[in-house]
Amino acid sequence: MSNKTTVGSVLVVGGGITGMQSALDMAESGYYVYLIEESPAIGGVMAQLDKTFPTNDCSM
Amino acid sequence: MDKCIACGTCAEKCPAKTTDAFNEGLAKRKAIYVPYAQAVPLKYAIDKNRCIYFQKGKCRACEKFCPTNAINFDDKEKDITLTVGSVILTAGFTPFNPDRFDNYQHAKFPNVVTSMEFERILSAGGPFGGHIHRLSDGQEPRKIAWLQCVGSRDLNRCDNEYCSSVCCMYAIKESVIAKEHLGADFEPAIFFMDMRTHGKDFEKYYERAKSQGVRFIRSRVHTITETDASGTLNLVYVTESGERVSEEFDMVVLSVGMEPAASAMEAAKTLGVELNPYHFVKTSDMTPVSTSREGIFVAGALQGPKDIPQSVVEASAAACSAGIHLASARGTLVKEKTFPAEQSVQDDAPRIGVFVCNCGINIGGIADVPAVAAYARELGNVVFTEEPLFACSQDAQEKMVEIIREQKLNRVVVAACTPRTHEPLFQETIRNAGLNAYLFEMANIRNQCTWVHSAEKEKATEKAKDLVRMAVQRANILEPIPDLSVGVNKSALIVGGGIAGMTAAISLADQGFAASIVEKSSSLGGAARDVLHTWRGENIQEHLKKLVDRVSNHPQITVFTQSEIVDASGFVGNFETRVKTGTEIHAIQHGVVIVATGGQASVTDEYLYGKHPAVTRWHDLEQNPELLTGVGSVVFIQCVGSRNDQRPYCSRICCTSSVYQAIDIKEKHPDTDVFILYRDIRTFGEREVLYKKAREKGVVFIRYSLNKKPVVTEAADGLDVRVFDPILQKELIIHADRVNLATAIEPSPNEDIAALYKLPVNAEKFFMEAHAKLRPVDFASDGLFVCGIAHYPKSIDESIAQAMAAAGRAATVLARTSIQISPLVSQVNRDLCIGCGLCTDICPFGAIIQEEVDGKGFKAKNISASCKGCGLCASSCPKKAIDMLHFRDAQILAAVCAAA
Amino acid sequence: MKQTEPKIVAFLCNWCAYAGADLAGVSRLQHPSNMRTVRVMCSGRVDPLFVVQALKSGCDGVLVAG
Repeated sequence: MSNKTTVGSVLVVGGGITGMQSALDMAESGYYVYLIEESPAIGGVMAQLDKTFPTNDCSM
Repeated sequence: MDKCIACGTCAEKCPAKTTDAFNEGLAKRKAIYVPYAQAVPLKYAIDKNRCIYFQKGKCRACEKFCPTNAINFDDKEKDITLTVGSVILTAGFTPFNPDRFDNYQHAKFPNVVTSMEFERILSAGGPFGGHIHRLSDGQEPRKIAWLQCVGSRDLNRCDNEYCSSVCCMYAIKESVIAKEHLGADFEPAIFFMDMRTHGKDFEKYYERAKSQGVRFIRSRVHTITETDASGTLNLVYVTESGERVSEEFDMVVLSVGMEPAASAMEAAKTLGVELNPYHFVKTSDMTPVSTSREGIFVAGALQGPKDIPQSVVEASAAACSAGIHLASARGTLVKEKTFPAEQSVQDDAPRIGVFVCNCGINIGGIADVPAVAAYARELGNVVFTEEPLFACSQDAQEKMVEIIREQKLNRVVVAACTPRTHEPLFQETIRNAGLNAYLFEMANIRNQCTWVHSAEKEKATEKAKDLVRMAVQRANILEPIPDLSVGVNKSALIVGGGIAGMTAAISLADQGFAASIVEKSSSLGGAARDVLHTWRGENIQEHLKKLVDRVSNHPQITVFTQSEIVDASGFVGNFETRVKTGTEIHAIQHGVVIVATGGQASVTDEYLYGKHPAVTRWHDLEQNPELLTGVGSVVFIQCVGSRNDQRPYCSRICCTSSVYQAIDIKEKHPDTDVFILYRDIRTFGEREVLYKKAREKGVVFIRYSLNKKPVVTEAADGLDVRVFDPILQKELIIHADRVNLATAIEPSPNEDIAALYKLPVNAEKFFMEAHAKLRPVDFASDGLFVCGIAHYPKSIDESIAQAMAAAGRAATVLARTSIQISPLVSQVNRDLCIGCGLCTDICPFGAIIQEEVDGKGFKAKNISASCKGCGLCASSCPKKAIDMLHFRDAQILAAVCAAA
Repeated sequence: MKQTEPKIVAFLCNWCAYAGADLAGVSRLQHPSNMRTVRVMCSGRVDPLFVVQALKSGCDGVLVAG
C-alpha cells in the first residue's frame, strides 16, 4: 500500500437497497463509484415488495 | 441506451412472451422489457435467451418499430477492466425455494404460494392489480394461513439452521395488508414457533395485528392436502397442548427465508473473500463490515439475514470503511461541472420560448402538437415556439441552447413529460445557455395528459393547451434564484463516549475529520463495560480497551469527560455547542452532530430483585463467577419489563444474552440445572445456532405468557420459582439457587439533548430517525445523526455498525467545503411579520426561528440551510408575511387563474 | 340537456400525489381529462386562498392531494 498511490474510486457489487446506499454515500463523500448490477434495473428485491413493515410504506 | 425514451412500442410489438421473474412467474412479459414501471434506468432491455432474433436469427420487430433507433443488435458483450481502490459487496440474498420439499406442496398445489409471490399478488402494480385471488379458481380467499420458518431454523430438511430474521414481520405485514384488501370477515392465521418482532416498533405492530384479528397459532403444520377440485387446502397441526387439529384454508403462504445469492457467493469467491458456514460473507463483531480481505467490505443480507434498516445501516458503514481505506485519495477522481456566467434578466421584459415535445408518437400521436404550439405562440410574451421530436435528445438540447441565445429568450417552457424526471436536465440546458435554472417551467403533457387520455385526442389537445397556458403564465413571473450554499466546518461533535460514540469518533478521525466527544460520566466506555463477550464469543473488554486508548491518543479527537452540553445552536455545517466541564465552558464549532447517548438495563422491583441476594440481573453472574460455584440450579427470566404496557417493545438482545450465558454455565458447571423462562425466544439470524446449542447442552426452556407470569418466592434454602408449563399443561415449581433477570433495556436520559438540538424521540424515549427504513441513522434535520442504543436496544456488533454508518453519513457532509442547498426556501417579509411564532411552531424542520429585533419585538427568521421548501409556514402565516421562492403565492395563483 | 363537464384544479404534492399522477401515466391508466394540475412542494403549501381563487376563476372543483 505504502509505495502505491491509492485509487480514489470504489466498485459496488449489487444494485439493491444496500448497494445503492453505499454508492450514494461514497459518491457524496468524494469518491468515484462504479455500481454493477446483473439485472437491467437497480432496486433489488425491495422493488418487488408491496409494502414494508412496520410503517406499511410503499416500498417504491 | 441513451436513445431509448421508454415509450414501450418495442415491447408492444415484440412477439416473444416469457415468464416475468419480477412478478415471481405469476405474469408474462415480452422478450424486450423493463422489469417494472418505476425501473431505473427506465430503458428497455432484450432478454437474449427469449429473443426470437437471438435464438432463431429472425424477427427484429422491435428495431423496426422503435421511433428513436435505440435498438442495436450488433451490441456485443464486453469485458471491462476497472481499477478501483476498494470494493463493497452488497449482492444480497435469494428467497428460499421450497419446491425441493414435497411437504410444503408448493410445486403441486396452486393455492400454496411463497411470500414473495404473495407480495406480487398484493401489489397494485402486480399481475392482478392488487386484487387477491386464488390461483386455482380466481376466487377471493376468506382464510389464508402463513407458515413460518420455511427454509429457516430447520436443519433436518434444508440445512438452514439460522433464523432469517425478517419473516415473522413480513408475514404479519402481509396478513394485515391482506385484511385491508379483503375486509373484516377475512381470517388470516400465522403458524409460528417463536414470534420474532425484535426491531424498533415491531412489537407494537404485532400487538396491533392481534387486535385487528390476525390469529397467531404456535405450531408447525405437518400435512397440507387439497380437499377438493377447487383447490381448497386442509392443514393438520398439533396445538401446544397436544391436540391434533385439522382445518381448512383457501390459500397457504410459505414464509420463505433468505439464502445468500448464488451470483454473490460466486463474486465473493472470485475476490477471495472468506465465507462463513452458511455461505454468508464472514465478518467479525468488532469490524462488522470488513471481509477477510483488506479493502473489500460487505453490507446487507450477503453478510447474514437481516431487514432493510439494518442493511442500509451496513451500507453506510461499508461506505465509511471504504472511505477510511481511501482517505488519502478523496476527491481525486471526481469532477465538478462548470457553467457559463449567468446573464441578468431582471430588468428585461419576459421573452418566453415554448418547446412542445412530440416524444415520438407518445405526445404527437395523440395530441395535436402543431396546434398546441400555435396556441402557445399567441400567448403574451411568447416569442418563439418549436416542436422537437424528442426535446430531451442530445441534439435537441444543443439546439435549444442555440435558440435561447439567438432569440434572446429569458424564460423557457418545455411541454413534454414530467418535471420529476426531466426538470433537472432542462435546467442544466438553460444554464448552459447562460440562464438561471429557475427561469424554466415544464408542462406535463405526456404522463398526465396524452398517456392517460389516449382515446380522447381532442380533449387531450385541449388539456395540453391549458397546461401550456398555465405554465406560460407562471413563467411570466418566474425570477432567477441564486444558488444557496453554506460553508462546512469539517469537524463533528459526538454526544456520548460509549462504544458507539467512540467508534463514530475514530471512524471520522481516521478519515481526517476532527471529532469532539462529550461524555457525562468520568470515563469512556459506556454500557459495553458490563459485557464480556459478543454473541459470537469475541472479547469485548479487549476491544474496548484498545478503542479507549486510540480515542484518547488520536490527534484528531478531543474528549470532554464529566461534561455536559448547556447550549446548542446552528445548522448543518455550522453548529455551535457549548460544553460545560466543571465550571469551565468550551464553545465548540462543528459541522455535524452524532448522538450516541446510549442506554442501560433497567432496574426492577419484580421477582424479589433487590429484596433477595440470590436474584441478580443481566451480567451479574458472568462478572461474579463465584456466585455460580456449587450452585444446583439457575433460572433465567426473560422479558422483565419488556413487551408489556409500560414498555411495549422487545429489548432485542436479552434472549441471545441469556442463552449465551446459559451455555457458558452448562460448559463450566455441567451438573447445574439451567432454566430459561421466556415468552418467545428471539435469537434472530445466526444467533439461532446458540439456541440450538443450549438445548443440546440440556438447558430447559419453559415458555410463559404475560397473563401467567412466573412467581418467585423465598424458600428455606434459596428460591422457589412457579411457572405454568404450556406443554405439560401444569404448574411447575423449580427450586432455584440463583434467579437472573433480563430486565428491559431503556435509553439513557436524553431530554436535554433532544431539547437542545430539537430532536424527536418516540413514546419510549428512543431517538427517532428520519425514516424507519431508508434513513436509519439520519435525523430529519440535516447534519444530525444517531447511533447505538440511543436509537434502539442493539448488540455490540450492531452498535458498531450503526456508529460507522453515522460516521459515513456525516462524512458526506464533512467531505465538502460547502454544501449546495436547495434555494427554494421561505422568505420572510419583516415589515409584515408580527412575531406570532406560528411559523416556528409549525415548521417540521426547525427552519424558522423568532429573533428579537431592537424596538420591534420578535420577527421570524428563515434558516435556509434547514428549510425543505414545503411552504407550511407560508400557507399558515396570518399576515401573509412569508412567501416561498419559486412557489410564490403570485406564481401559484398565476397558474390557478390560467387553469379556468 | 347535455351535462357540462366540471373543470377541476388539482394541487398535487410533488413527492407523492404528483408522482402518483405521473405513475398513472406510465401505467397508462385512463381517466377523465377535466383535471388541471398545479404542482406544489407539499400539500401544506396550499393556502385556502388558492382554493377560493380557483373557484372564483371559474373552476368547479378543487382537489388537494398529498
